[in-house]
Amino acid sequence: MAHNLALIGLVLTGLSLIYVLYRTIAGNPVDRRVVFIYVALAAGLPLFMDLLPPVTVTPDVQALVDVLEELPPHSKVLAAFDYDPPSAPELQPMAVAFFKFAFKKKLDVIIVGLWPQGPQQANDAIATALLDSSVMAAGPIYGEDYVNLGFQSGNEFVIQRMGSGFKAMFPRDERQTPYDSIPVLQNIVNFSNIDFVMNFSSGKPGTIEWVQIAVDRFGARLGAGNTAVQAPQVYPYLRAKQMVGLLGGMSGAAEFEKALSMPGNGSIMLLSQISTHAIVILFIIIGNTAYFRTRKRKND
Amino acid sequence: MSQPNQNSPFCKIFPTLLSALFLFTILASSPKTLFAQDAETSVIDSTLENLVPIPARPANVKAKDHVYDIGEKVDVSWELSPDDTTGLRNVVGYIISRRLDTASDFDSVGAVFSRIASLTDIGLTKGESYQYAVTAYTSAGAVSETSVSNSVTTEQEWFDGDKFWQVLLLVIIAGSVAYFIYHAKKGKPMFLRKIAGLQAVEEAIGRATEMGRPILFIPGIHDMDDVQTIAGMTILAKVAKQVAEYESRIFVPTRASLAMTAARETVREAYMTAGRIDAYRSDDIYYVTDEQFGYVAAVNGIMTRDKPATCFYLGAFFAESLILAETGNSIGAIQIAGTAMPAQLPFFVAACDYTLIGEELFAASAYLSEDPKQMGSLKGQDVGKVVAMAAILIGAVLATLGSEEGMNIETFNSAFHAFWGVFGGGE
Amino acid sequence: MPDASPIGIFIAGLLTLGIFSFLYKDNPVYKVCEAIFIGVSAAYWAVEYFYSALYRKFWLGVFPPAGSGVEADLLLWGGAILGALMLCRMIPKINWLSRWPLAFIVGATAGLYMMLFFVSNAMKQIESTMQPLIQDSLLETLGSFTIAIGTITGLIYFFFSKEHKGIFGGAAKVGIWVLMVTFGASFGYTVMSRMSLLIGRMDFLFNSWATNFGQMF
Repeated sequence: MAHNLALIGLVLTGLSLIYVLYRTIAGNPVDRRVVFIYVALAAGLPLFMDLLPPVTVTPDVQALVDVLEELPPHSKVLAAFDYDPPSAPELQPMAVAFFKFAFKKKLDVIIVGLWPQGPQQANDAIATALLDSSVMAAGPIYGEDYVNLGFQSGNEFVIQRMGSGFKAMFPRDERQTPYDSIPVLQNIVNFSNIDFVMNFSSGKPGTIEWVQIAVDRFGARLGAGNTAVQAPQVYPYLRAKQMVGLLGGMSGAAEFEKALSMPGNGSIMLLSQISTHAIVILFIIIGNTAYFRTRKRKND
Repeated sequence: MSQPNQNSPFCKIFPTLLSALFLFTILASSPKTLFAQDAETSVIDSTLENLVPIPARPANVKAKDHVYDIGEKVDVSWELSPDDTTGLRNVVGYIISRRLDTASDFDSVGAVFSRIASLTDIGLTKGESYQYAVTAYTSAGAVSETSVSNSVTTEQEWFDGDKFWQVLLLVIIAGSVAYFIYHAKKGKPMFLRKIAGLQAVEEAIGRATEMGRPILFIPGIHDMDDVQTIAGMTILAKVAKQVAEYESRIFVPTRASLAMTAARETVREAYMTAGRIDAYRSDDIYYVTDEQFGYVAAVNGIMTRDKPATCFYLGAFFAESLILAETGNSIGAIQIAGTAMPAQLPFFVAACDYTLIGEELFAASAYLSEDPKQMGSLKGQDVGKVVAMAAILIGAVLATLGSEEGMNIETFNSAFHAFWGVFGGGE
Repeated sequence: MPDASPIGIFIAGLLTLGIFSFLYKDNPVYKVCEAIFIGVSAAYWAVEYFYSALYRKFWLGVFPPAGSGVEADLLLWGGAILGALMLCRMIPKINWLSRWPLAFIVGATAGLYMMLFFVSNAMKQIESTMQPLIQDSLLETLGSFTIAIGTITGLIYFFFSKEHKGIFGGAAKVGIWVLMVTFGASFGYTVMSRMSLLIGRMDFLFNSWATNFGQMF
């Protein structure tokens, strides 16, 4: 019921744009607030629909998934959480899918954060991942299969010092257990003992710093999930093979979920993303029509 | 953890291989099984008496401290077993074990395939002495006698010789910056091309004067420790001087308190140079708040109330770039922006009349101030750009001539790899 | 938000709507929400920095709890002294002392960054641009040409020691076109990001908030 109503609403919204275009051509453009309403409808209505948009996995996402798939069980994966709640809509679905995969595959996950709220986001993602019965069945145990070392202040200097030893920067985990008494951290000294680094980042310090220090200085293998704002700045490093793969924004999250066969919030919200993009493109056309009209009138 | 090398597919295959080998050995020990017969046929020169021939041991095992590390690696090398590529040819790999000099037992640290005669053991402790043992093994599970290496003590080096080229290139570029600063200080004339956006500055101030409306100048949202803010201040000096000459008015709200002090100094000096110190109003240059969006809200308020005819945004900007430029656009102001923040440039380019892109901001600042340090740095960086362009060109040409897709000429291929290595290629 | 209380979710929803009201026009509700946001965030950061830097890093580092097996890190005292010097800014007579920690930060950062940027952003990028111009397929060949030409013309645009005239000027013009295309892509990505944030809020309002609303009343 809600699905059908939302679908009809969305179609009507699209059709009404023809009227907006007509008004604009007639020299009577709409108020900017009308644009806001359209964007709100385009973002909100698809949330009531049960449709999952078709997702094509791009090579950058597939490359990351391939590397994750190849890791044998009990590989040591360092997961760096460098974002806070404002970026959660884009990065949280990636983090949830990552944990679902890691727990099922029995990877040993070590969580750190260069942003104060990062480790909390990781805990939220773990809680969400554990709602999945198949993940729950894998029964990840804190301390043995994963550990959250918490936040450490010092930005990129933290990564630099982790190069000589993790323990110096994280003497205790989030629950104040000393480094040496955590089973999953046995024999882990520095990046030499880490098989893969996964970073979720929305700014600085974030992926670029991990590339510059952990990869280029200490030889780590890195994959990352980024907000769409940051992704264009990270692509050069991906092209230079300083990273194995990159998830960019919500579409990256949806592709990641699809490639791992773990549908989640990223796929659900992608429909909203597509419809808002369509509205934005249509308004760009309408806006340009208005612009050329006024220019023509000036020339006349 | 020990590995032959970090990217070797062997690391992934090894656990599978070992377990397969284990299973195979058990099955092979019972002569009635099918597997045992297969195993026999695969072993060259097998006889009934000698079902599992034992390979000769690898000789001359040497352990050497790995150079240019922090004392955590040892390079182990050995001579291949005579039964590896020659003789019985039954060796499938080597098992490498290690012990502390003081310990009695060896612990396995890794294994490599046949025909491989070295391994780098990593994750060791600096200053400890180790000994290595290498054993050859066959697919039938037979192991050779063990050869033991010399004792080796891990050491940390002061310098990383692998980074020689990095340092050399850095010295060339940093050296040319120092060279040009030295010459600029001596007063030698230096050519800098004109920056198109700077001509727009004068027109924009003229327009504001004609309209009788003020000018708004935002020196970014960072403090004086950011070089972009300093560049913004240099341009502010030029703008303020012209404003003073035209008898117009300028507002400079800042987000950082030190930036406010610097801006007041700059504008006061500019008014003095223009001979109009009486028109200088220190209250027009003020600190707002450190909270990013609080500052933006305040600046938006100033824009909608005072309706400046011209807005300058020159410095470091973040998410507020589009909000500011959008508001400026809505009040119909001429807008000139400049920042080195790559993520914010698109918004300024889209919403402003003129944008100084990245380094142009510093170039504009150097051009206007004629400060030897700024001029010298800019010229020195140009040398860096020439190096980069030349390297890319040479590299691309060599790669095209040498690669299989291109002309496939071996000489160029090796030349390319040597050149590529300078920039860290092939590591 | 797995463990937010119903009251918390209710307030969060109201604040979201209050901030959205700015889209209609500036109004007192928006101003109240904005003030709450600024106040709460300032307090949050004060607490966070106090806890993470002063308590977790410094206090527990210098005086580790007995029996934890962690040794005291005496180097942290150096940081503490430098940090304390920052406070000298408030005493006019000795405020010059606050420049020392600043000098330390600027110096250390410059030292770390010089090599990091030179290696990761210059050397590695140059290395990856050195590709054979001719590739297996026409599309890939076109790709390598675009990368090589784009990088070189981009560098030419930012070359200040020569006037942009003739062939050099033409190359610079190509360079600025390449930059503009990059900006376009970056702009598109940012729109995508901002829309994601809106969708995230919508999802919160329609799902968590509306469900919670139904349960509360």
